[in-house]
Parts: sequence; structure tokens; C-alpha cells
Amino acid sequence: MQSTNRIVIGFLAGSLGFNAIGTAQKVTHAAPTAADWAALAKLPDLTGVWEVGLGGGGGAAAGGGRGAAPAAPAAAGRGAAPTPAPPAAGRGRGGAQGRGGPSLTPAYAAKAASPALNGDQSANCLPPGLPGIMSQPYPLEILMTPGKVTIISEAYTQVRHIYTDGRPLPADPDPTFFGTSIGRWEDGVLVIESVGFAEVPRGLSFPFSDKLRIVERLRLTDPDTLTIETTLIDPEALTMPYSMGSRTLRRHRNWTLAEYICEENNRNFVDQEGKAGVRLANPLASPK
Amino acid sequence: MSNSMKQAVQRALVVAGLCVAGTGLAVAHHSYTTFDMQGQKVISGTVKKFDWTNPHSWLWLEAPNEQGVMETWGIEGMSPNYLARRGWSRSTLKPGDKISVTFHPLKNGDKGGSFVSAKRDTGEVLGMTGAITDP
Repeated sequence: MQSTNRIVIGFLAGSLGFNAIGTAQKVTHAAPTAADWAALAKLPDLTGVWEVGLGGGGGAAAGGGRGAAPAAPAAAGRGAAPTPAPPAAGRGRGGAQGRGGPSLTPAYAAKAASPALNGDQSANCLPPGLPGIMSQPYPLEILMTPGKVTIISEAYTQVRHIYTDGRPLPADPDPTFFGTSIGRWEDGVLVIESVGFAEVPRGLSFPFSDKLRIVERLRLTDPDTLTIETTLIDPEALTMPYSMGSRTLRRHRNWTLAEYICEENNRNFVDQEGKAGVRLANPLASPK
Repeated sequence: MSNSMKQAVQRALVVAGLCVAGTGLAVAHHSYTTFDMQGQKVISGTVKKFDWTNPHSWLWLEAPNEQGVMETWGIEGMSPNYLARRGWSRSTLKPGDKISVTFHPLKNGDKGGSFVSAKRDTGEVLGMTGAITDP
């Protein structure tokens, strides 16, 4: 399928009335063929609307710094804190650390101890970035088309674009909420790799660097059950890959996604000092 | 299953949902630090308006204070997306409905809170965080 997606690269000279010499790169993909669609039908069918269950693989449900993900050290004052562990300690299955929490490098453990870590900006309607967007208490819809898997999050009405056409990850991606993602199939498992993460709340309670890479493994375990295993790799912030564990999703064939426009009637806020509040004024001004 | 049976089952499930009400809000939009999640307040009054909106539903309740003066309370609930899969609709609570509402009050003393449950005169109890009723 991917091989038939021929990539034609052309160059478009900038010549719109100015003398400035500029070139814009234009990438054109070949239209999918019947063979591409037929090849798609042979892959595990991940399409449809999925109820997101509890468990690992997405961090806190809220976009804020608190929640299910392991707490930051001392300053957060809660339970088993990640510590700058010696490199050999706590190594779990496959070299990824298990539920004990992320093992931070000394520099990032110090960062984590500072109190100003990712305010709860979701209260102001900013969606949480990856991986938090994958663990909201709202369904996800997965679409599969030649060369691409699309994940629609009902929460905040967000979209993730995962390119499966064989393109590489960008060397210098713009930092974004969901990163830039590519996917590949390994023995029936869709492996999604994402890079390029902006400093936004993403349901993680520890700091990350611009080297953060998130690997998600999507596996059908029975016809309507999907597990997503999420691993964070960050050579600057983590001494070893951090496995967030596995989250289970259940497919509902008769569900549809509903609209979720967060700005519609948002009465919650977090101010510049990080203080949360609720606006009760003008109840009759609500839109519906 | 007939529609009326379906509705009866859904109502039963909404009530059954109370078993877990208040024990674990599925947090999507914000933390609950502004509410006193350990405390509960009960107010009986008349539904003025029920906002079937995102990111939260808002129940506006008119009730007399201790001096008998009518006040409006704003109670935040789960979103329509969440509730619709748990037996609720935009007309589950209608203007004029007489209910008593249990909620976690706002810590700052404003007339608002986070919904725990509502009880009608008929005894029917409504929760928001029950099991999914839509297969």
C-alpha cells in the first residue's frame, strides 16, 4: 500500500510580484488506488468509536499536572515520587520502567521539584496534549485510510494525524500539542511514534525535554477490545524509557461521537497566578 | 424492547448509578479544587434552567434562603456527552421541576457547587456518574 504512494516533490518558485527569491517545497501524494484500499482491508480493523477505559497509558485524565501519572518528587508531597535513580535500578520488562514511576535525571528531578509545573489550563479550555488526550473520559474514534490513521477525540473535539505511508519522523519538528506522528504495523500491532511536543499540560506530572518521544502500541486483543500501551523515551529527562502501562478500550459499534465545544459554556478558569475559580454570573446568558 | 421499557431500564440504571456517585468524578476539564469535595450541601427548590452544554451541564435552581428571599444557585454537572450515555437527556430536568439537590459547595461561599445527586418529590433519585447505559 505504502509503496504505491509515490511522493512527487516539486519546487515552486516564489514569484508573486516581489523580487524576493524564495522557494516553497510542494509535496504531492498519488491518489490511493483500489489496491491500496484492498491492502487496508487486510490489516486489523481499528476503525470505530472506542470507549476509553481506566488504566495506564494516558496519564491523568485532566490536562493538568496532577492525576494518575506518578507524582513529581518532594514538592508535590504525594506518595512514591520519582527519584534520580541510578541507571541500573528499577529496570522493568524490556528495559522500560514499570509502575514505580518515571526515573528522572538529576537535572529534571530538580525541575520537577519546582512548584510551577503545568497549570490546569484545561479549565481555560486548552486541550491536554499527548498522552493526556488519549485518556479523557470521552470516546475516541479511529479512522483508517490508505497511508494514514486518524484519531478523533470527542473531548475538546481534537484530531490526531498518524501517517502510515512510510515517511520518516521530521528531524526538527515544530513543538505542538500532539506532536508529529508516524505509524507502522508490526505483527498486527500499530506502533505510533510521535515527536515534537510543546510545553503544554499533557497529563504528565514530571517535566520533559524537547527530545521526548512517545511510542504507543495499539493491539486488538479480541474483536472489540483494544489495548494501548504507552512508553515515554526522553534521554534528557528520563534515565530509562518510562512505560505508562496499558489502557483498555471497548468498541461500541452503534456509538457516534458527539460535539464538544469547550468554549460553549465554560464557567471554569485558572488565572495567571494559577488560581482556579468558577464564574456564576448571568446564568441566563448560557447559549442553550 | 419497547421504548417505555427502555426508559424504565434507563431510569433504573440512572438510579443505580448513584452507587458510585460522588466517589470518583471522571475529571476531564478541570480539577475540583474550587469545590469542597469533602462537604455536601442540600438545597430544595425549583429548576430555573438546565444548560445542556459543554464542558459542563449547569443546573440553575431557585430556592429561598433562611430569610425567605429567593436565591439562584448554579450547580455544575457532567457534560451532555458523558450524561447522554448514562440515561440523561436535555429534558431530564426541566424548568419548573421541584427537586432537592445535593452538591459539593464552592469553597469561596458563592452560591454554587458540584452536582452529587438530585431527588424529585416522587422519590426518584438522579445521579450522574453511573454505568454506561448505551451499549
